[in-house]
Amino acid sequence: MDDDMVFDPSLKKKKKKKTGFDLDAALAGEQGESTSVEAPAGTGDVDLPEDDNLDLDNFGKKKKKKKKGVFNMEELESTLPETPPAEEPEQQEDEVIDDLDLDIDFSKTKKKKKKKNIEELVLEDDKGEDQENVEDVSGDLWSGTDRDYTYDELLERVFDIMREKNPSMVSGKKQKFIMRPPQVVRIGTKKTSFANFTEICKTLHRQPKHLLDFLLAELGTSGSVDGNSQLIIKGRFQQKQIENVLRRYIKEYVTCHTCRSPDTILQKDTRLFFLQCETCGSRCSVASIKSGFQAVTGKRAAIRAKTA
Amino acid sequence: MSIQNLNTYDPFADAIKSSEDDVQDGLVHVRIQQRNGRKTLTTVQGLSSEYDLKKIVRACKKEFACNGTVVEHPEYGEVLQLQGDQRENICQWLTKSGLVKPEQLKVHGF
Repeated sequence: MDDDMVFDPSLKKKKKKKTGFDLDAALAGEQGESTSVEAPAGTGDVDLPEDDNLDLDNFGKKKKKKKKGVFNMEELESTLPETPPAEEPEQQEDEVIDDLDLDIDFSKTKKKKKKKNIEELVLEDDKGEDQENVEDVSGDLWSGTDRDYTYDELLERVFDIMREKNPSMVSGKKQKFIMRPPQVVRIGTKKTSFANFTEICKTLHRQPKHLLDFLLAELGTSGSVDGNSQLIIKGRFQQKQIENVLRRYIKEYVTCHTCRSPDTILQKDTRLFFLQCETCGSRCSVASIKSGFQAVTGKRAAIRAKTA
Repeated sequence: MSIQNLNTYDPFADAIKSSEDDVQDGLVHVRIQQRNGRKTLTTVQGLSSEYDLKKIVRACKKEFACNGTVVEHPEYGEVLQLQGDQRENICQWLTKSGLVKPEQLKVHGF
């Protein structure tokens, strides 16, 4: 219904324009074919009825095409960086835990994408060849005439230009960030070892001290990095629990809050930490790490003996 | 028909109202601490001092069937302590009772 609503006025517009066009064409006809400016109009004047049809088609296509354009972007993205995760979007949320796959929000978009892709594949064959032609036509739609361009046409044009100029933006948007899961082993009964702690710090491009502070503050315990660069935490923790905390760390201190890109730098500026994004250039302050209130859990007598 | 633009408008009306209607200021941190063995302790820090924490803890103890106390801390004010992992329970209870808005709750720990 809405389509029709939109459709009608545009049709009317076109008719108006067409009359203008006709005049031009008629003029061209009267003046003869020698005028070079009217050359496109000359072609137009033969195709006039056809042109109109084309317009109609374009409208139908444009709507589909707009979606399709998005699909294409997504398709490219999904094919370019990593195909395997894209194949199993449903299971992804489960796998997220295993892979420590960090863009939780992206999985949703991916699902949508997947569905669309299926539809799109059907449409693909029909529209693939037409697309370029349609674009050309749409470029010509108002260039030869003095009619107004429609919103849809302009929108399409700007998206085409955008896609053409920086394909990296399109493909980089959904760049996935895959990390090795943390290796968490219990030492004895009271301590836990986080074996690949420094490795994870390196993949996140963060100071080990910063991540250490965060982990210890979140878990409410104490711990330290030992000789073979593994983290020893007091208390019993499972891999799943550490992953949870790590994911929260990444969400807060690694991924850009604006564009979710993991390509960021954390810098300290007048006692505050700022997250500078390398992709979109945004800069925002992040919460300071505070351990907050810590209840007394050990033996009070021992603490009293220590302090006194 | 009155002219909207000429109406007197208090730019601070919003701020005053918001500070009035929610007594809770800032975040409420819900943390967990491990004790010996499988035992844990849940702490709730940052509840507004306008609430009677003793009454809250009394209700919580009954609701969650656990023990709990109110601890006075020089920096963080009064802090609620509950035995066991009550993070889920306390979050639900605080939001349901209307004491804290869900966006003000910050749950820490694994």
